[in-house]
Amino acid sequence: MKAALTLSAGLSLSALTPGFTAEKISFNRDIRPIMSDTCFHCHGFDAKTREAGLRLDIREEAIKETEEGALPIVPGDPGKSEIIFRIFDESDPMPPEKAHKPFTPEQKELFRRWVEEGAVYEPHWAYAPLLRPELPAGKESLNPIDAFIREKLAQKKVSPSPEAAPQALARRLSLDLTGLPPHAHEFYKPEMATGDFIDALLASPHFGERFAVWWLDIARYADTVGFHGDQNQRIFPYRDYVIEAFNTNKRFDDFTREQLAGDLLPKPTPEQLTATGYNRLNMMTREGGAQPKEYLAKYGAERVRSVAAAWFGSTFGCAECHDHKFDPIKASDFYELQSFFADVKQWGVYSSYGYSPEPELEGFNNEFPFPPEIEVESPWLKKQHGQVRKSLDEHLAASLAKLAADPKTVAAQSAWEEKMRAYLGKNPDGGISPALVTHEIQKNGKPLPERKAVLDPSGTIQPDKALGKGESLSLTMDPAGLPALAAIKLQIDVSGIAPESLKARLGKSLSPTFSIRQPDGKIRKLPILTADATAKRPLYRGGAEVPGIQGEWRLPKTLPTDSPLHSIWIVDGPVALSTGEQVVISITGDNTLPLHIALSPFGSLDALKTGSEISSLMTIAADRNPDQIREVAELYFFSVAPDRPAWTKAHQLAGQIRELNEGRAWTLVTEAAPNPLTVRVLPRGNWQDETGPVVLPSTPSFLPGRIESTAEKRLTRLDLANWIVSDANPITARAVMNRLWAQFFGTGLSAVVDDLGSQGELPSHPELLDWLAFEFRESGWDMKRMIRLIVTSETYRQSSHLRPELKDLDPANRLLASQNPRRLDAEFVRDNALSIAGLLKLEDIGGPSVKPYQPAGYYEALQFPNRDYVADTDSRQWRRGVYTHWQRTFLHPMMANFDAPARDECAAARTMSNTPQQALTLLNDPAFVEAARVFAARLLNEKAKDDQARLALAFRLTVNREPKPKETEALTLFLTNQRESYKATPKDATKLLATGLAPKAELDPVEHAAWTQVARVLLNTHETITRY
Amino acid sequence: MNPFNPTSLSRRSFLHQSAYGFGGLALSSLLREANAANPALGKPDHWKGVLKQAHYPVKAKRVIFLCMAGGPSQFETFDWKPDLKALHDKPFPESFTKGQQLAQLQGAELKARGAFTNFQKHGQSGIEISDLFPEIAKQADRLCVIRSMQTEQINHDTAHAFMNTGSIIKGRPSMGSWLQYGLGSETEDLPGFIVLTSAGKYGQQPISARQWSSGVLPSRFQGIQFQSKGDAVHYIGNPEGVCQSTQRQVVEEIQRLNGYLAEEQNDPEIATRIAQYEMAFKMQTSVPELTDFKDESQATLDLYGVKEPGDGSFASNCLLARRLAERGVRMIQLYHRAWDHHGQIEEGMKDGAATVDRPSAALIEDLAQRGLLEDTLILWGGEFGRTPMGQGSGRDHHILSFSVFMAGGGIKPGMTWGATDELGYRAVENVVSVHDLHATMLALLGIDHHRLTTKFQGLDVRLTGIAGKAVKEIMA
Repeated sequence: MKAALTLSAGLSLSALTPGFTAEKISFNRDIRPIMSDTCFHCHGFDAKTREAGLRLDIREEAIKETEEGALPIVPGDPGKSEIIFRIFDESDPMPPEKAHKPFTPEQKELFRRWVEEGAVYEPHWAYAPLLRPELPAGKESLNPIDAFIREKLAQKKVSPSPEAAPQALARRLSLDLTGLPPHAHEFYKPEMATGDFIDALLASPHFGERFAVWWLDIARYADTVGFHGDQNQRIFPYRDYVIEAFNTNKRFDDFTREQLAGDLLPKPTPEQLTATGYNRLNMMTREGGAQPKEYLAKYGAERVRSVAAAWFGSTFGCAECHDHKFDPIKASDFYELQSFFADVKQWGVYSSYGYSPEPELEGFNNEFPFPPEIEVESPWLKKQHGQVRKSLDEHLAASLAKLAADPKTVAAQSAWEEKMRAYLGKNPDGGISPALVTHEIQKNGKPLPERKAVLDPSGTIQPDKALGKGESLSLTMDPAGLPALAAIKLQIDVSGIAPESLKARLGKSLSPTFSIRQPDGKIRKLPILTADATAKRPLYRGGAEVPGIQGEWRLPKTLPTDSPLHSIWIVDGPVALSTGEQVVISITGDNTLPLHIALSPFGSLDALKTGSEISSLMTIAADRNPDQIREVAELYFFSVAPDRPAWTKAHQLAGQIRELNEGRAWTLVTEAAPNPLTVRVLPRGNWQDETGPVVLPSTPSFLPGRIESTAEKRLTRLDLANWIVSDANPITARAVMNRLWAQFFGTGLSAVVDDLGSQGELPSHPELLDWLAFEFRESGWDMKRMIRLIVTSETYRQSSHLRPELKDLDPANRLLASQNPRRLDAEFVRDNALSIAGLLKLEDIGGPSVKPYQPAGYYEALQFPNRDYVADTDSRQWRRGVYTHWQRTFLHPMMANFDAPARDECAAARTMSNTPQQALTLLNDPAFVEAARVFAARLLNEKAKDDQARLALAFRLTVNREPKPKETEALTLFLTNQRESYKATPKDATKLLATGLAPKAELDPVEHAAWTQVARVLLNTHETITRY
Repeated sequence: MNPFNPTSLSRRSFLHQSAYGFGGLALSSLLREANAANPALGKPDHWKGVLKQAHYPVKAKRVIFLCMAGGPSQFETFDWKPDLKALHDKPFPESFTKGQQLAQLQGAELKARGAFTNFQKHGQSGIEISDLFPEIAKQADRLCVIRSMQTEQINHDTAHAFMNTGSIIKGRPSMGSWLQYGLGSETEDLPGFIVLTSAGKYGQQPISARQWSSGVLPSRFQGIQFQSKGDAVHYIGNPEGVCQSTQRQVVEEIQRLNGYLAEEQNDPEIATRIAQYEMAFKMQTSVPELTDFKDESQATLDLYGVKEPGDGSFASNCLLARRLAERGVRMIQLYHRAWDHHGQIEEGMKDGAATVDRPSAALIEDLAQRGLLEDTLILWGGEFGRTPMGQGSGRDHHILSFSVFMAGGGIKPGMTWGATDELGYRAVENVVSVHDLHATMLALLGIDHHRLTTKFQGLDVRLTGIAGKAVKEIMA
């Protein structure tokens, strides 16, 4: 989480505080912040650090006589009040010198006046019950936002700013609501009414992509687990859930319930279960030597911090070790909140190490996922699946048509069919199990005479005992009668094995290799293209399951119920067999179950379909219907590979289809464990200290409407979620609306958006924040309604020209006499540039995370497993920033340079830095250079009468305005210089234009390079990356 | 204007000579304006730090942290335990270990593992140093060896976080970020906090960019990692087909358009942006110059044992560290990932020592010869130590005792501080926590660790959390 520099926060409220004016002192505005910063540490909530028995946070205590007989505060009489005496006592002042927080004369005077005025306390604003404030008198007809803002401006005798120019406003709206420039939207017309444009933007699917970025920071969404090896976790469907929730304007109360407790809702839908991924987004570890209990404590504590930050805008962190110093948050509150989540099934360490065996994680290595997970449909994958399926169908149809058009192949197919019919007459199963010429156990290729390959009369073969290192089961077969070899079937035959023995022998593995021994003794390897089995233990790489079999068949631990246990190995290019050739199979691995081996001349796309229906299909020689004609042609195509490149391509497409897994993806979810973990108050946060009391789920004691577990009824996460969105809880609506405000004005109404507690800031416009919060709740937690209310306000629509005359009165523009300029968030810096270039792929929403270009070697210090970042080479390269692979330990440099948080924990606010790294990124990151190149091509491909017209177009696309004459003049000169420069060094032009994978344009390289330089300038300006 | 005129490479001279400058608005006035808008921030391109004056006398101006990532064994480096060697392979007394947290050795039978090396006394100070480190041993009279370190985190990830930020809560700023935030930068051409990494053959463990993150401080204070492959700094190189002079023109044109914008938008960020492009362009020149070792003599290369300048080795990184120190970089952190010896500790330690011994010593010697050691504080050590009990052919992680050394920058030379019990299991004399170590380092830099804070979520966050006490006895 990032906070603004305190320096500016200190200055920010000066326009809103009374100073020495006659205005009455407000405890919340004037006194509490000072007390919180300087007094509460020793005279506040935490009894353990309280000094002199004096407590200043509660009025009854502060006006009571102390143990030493002093009267700390005598309301109305500063002269008799001990604290005023001490504040002004220069010989022994309060706060004490060692605290290094001396009061200024103004602060001393504030305290004196406050006591004089009666020392009136107020409850902390954020925890007070939420009521709808009255609109300021005479302003009832205004947008309520304007009513409150104008009221305060009028008090300070400041007039608001005029509305921004229409084009500037359109750009602001488009960037704020969708993270894209206006021209990204087909519906955008410069002359359209603002209201219509707002409606269209709110209805755009890109609205959800933009606001998801906001929530994903809060939810600490990432693609990796964060600790140590920072392995991949599978959870992108959660990200897509968030996008969809914003797009469909899901009620925020439902959004809350589904994320915290979707699994506890009646008959939860896949969507609701996906939402519970929220509870699983804490960082996780698999580090050897890590203790599960210690890490479960870390996870539990992080969850409290994140939930409290997300829904309460509160800082629970300190209460892990002790009662909060500044806010009434007790250590018990911390652990009671944690215990709501004690049923979230999770492992402290995601591996089964010797010192802490975890039966469910047995065999887990660094490539494995992080269960519990469920498989859900991903619309993006589903669409890809459909598209590749279609490509395959088209490819097959075209390939078969080509074969059918060639009399030579038609004749060859007929001859093949005839041969196969004869073959099938003898081998109706499609495959043959040839006699074994030799069968032996070898070690490193040499026979091992003391070991035996046991051949059963039924034809199965097995080693006498499990093979050791370097040992193999070596078989030679005489495939007499087999015209060609396209596939090999290895079947496990379990008949006659006692169930107990079978159980012990399943779950092993075997890895075969195949070759042909020619009559001259030479060996020809038979490479395998693809293989699959009716059942297998999954193989994971980078946390995802690898489809099919990769060399090693990892036998399942239980038999499949619906089919025999077999695997099919498709030869990479079917081979014709000549007389005298033998098939050699060498099998390694610890499997001891008997194997039945069959060879087949038939190939197929789907490895597991080879075999059975072929006979019947092939016996039909005449009067085939069109389907049968196609099926036979297909069988010929895959069995013989008459067009080898087409055959290979078909298999490649089939491989892609398998990877797309029917459009389904795994995602981390919350699964309620039947026995929740015991949660105790941990003294000083020490997980090894079990002396603290056991606690049960209860809502925070300092917030109204507390609900508590009882011995009979333990509250659940759903109870927590329901309470959070109940009328009893005043803080969530305030926290969410305050953060939402910051999305449109750069600063929250309370500037410290991640702390609404007493160390935070009283809102600049407390009534407005309460009005928004109340309206949000009353409207049915309607996010789009609140956003519309904000962007249609005149306050929002004002010009963003900061006003020098207000510099002293309101240096941080908290009165909002104008809009605030705001640099785009990292994701939108990227989206904006790519969209201006016309390079951004906006067609589809969601899908697996993508990998934009990234400097080589950036993951070098990552291990377990070692990581090699491979940038996407297809259209995924140009997807929106929200889809960027989020590696917590090494966030993409472009994202990190523009202040995107690593999302290790809840990040309620991003910093807005302005650094040389940002300049270097925009200047030299290939993604931006490529964007400039494509942008230049876009400009050159437009009809324009001259350079100036083209420059004007460029300005409209980048900043949605016409260039000023001096801008045109300067860039024209620059363009001329670049033309001359590249004319002199045409090779440089070619090099520059080679940046990136986007298709090359058919343009004059010198002209294209010169305009690319112009485009680089425009994509780098401060205006381009700022929404004004 | 001739775009190839080398004089135009000076940004400032261009601004003054340019026919149209910033439309009459000079950079200096832009910067003044930015200052006026936010006086506390100083010149936007040159951060002077939040501390207006030092709390204590400034002994060190910069820090070089040679981080032996993975946790090297104190028993084969700086903590000689003859009793442990005598007990080798015998059961480790339970009285030491009962109830304590172990990592991979949880539940295992515990046996003592004595050092496989010997130790000698070195220098006038007679500091005992393992035979694996003959070159560092020659520097004994410049070192202050702390044998009584303790940490709170027993796994690599969290222990690194703790060693760098004093906390395991994410988002806490790293030591280097704190120094930049507090003291500002002494260089305008380079980042003030630079991280270099290298790796050995044995005992590698991953590290994370989190370790040099600025956390809740503004991201301008984050550590910049120099890459061993490709550009030393991300995106420092011009695009292909763009030479330095054309890049210059592009930057000038961006500055010009930003200047036009500043004329009508009263937005202080524009002036900052202009200054940052200035700095970025300077870095494009200064970084290649920095990483080009051709002005280093063969004798210097030999002193460090640099085989191939810029090869990403620890030796090359140590030499680069000296070059960074010379240029005023505030915090230079080298990670050498090679010290996690759960097994094969003999091979691993020998290889690790052979890699880091000469360069570490050379850095001290070289800095001393150039008069830089006196205000450069060197810290050498890992994120935790290793058990006096064996784990197969190695040692497990250990948090109750480990050793580090410091040198230069106001540290008392030629001394040891603290001691462990007779088997080295626990630091028992003058225990130094990680917070104490941080407090001491800050004190040498003139900073009271209580008073370098930032407000975050209502707290005065600081490097030392709520603890830490500077060890006065080791300060000169």
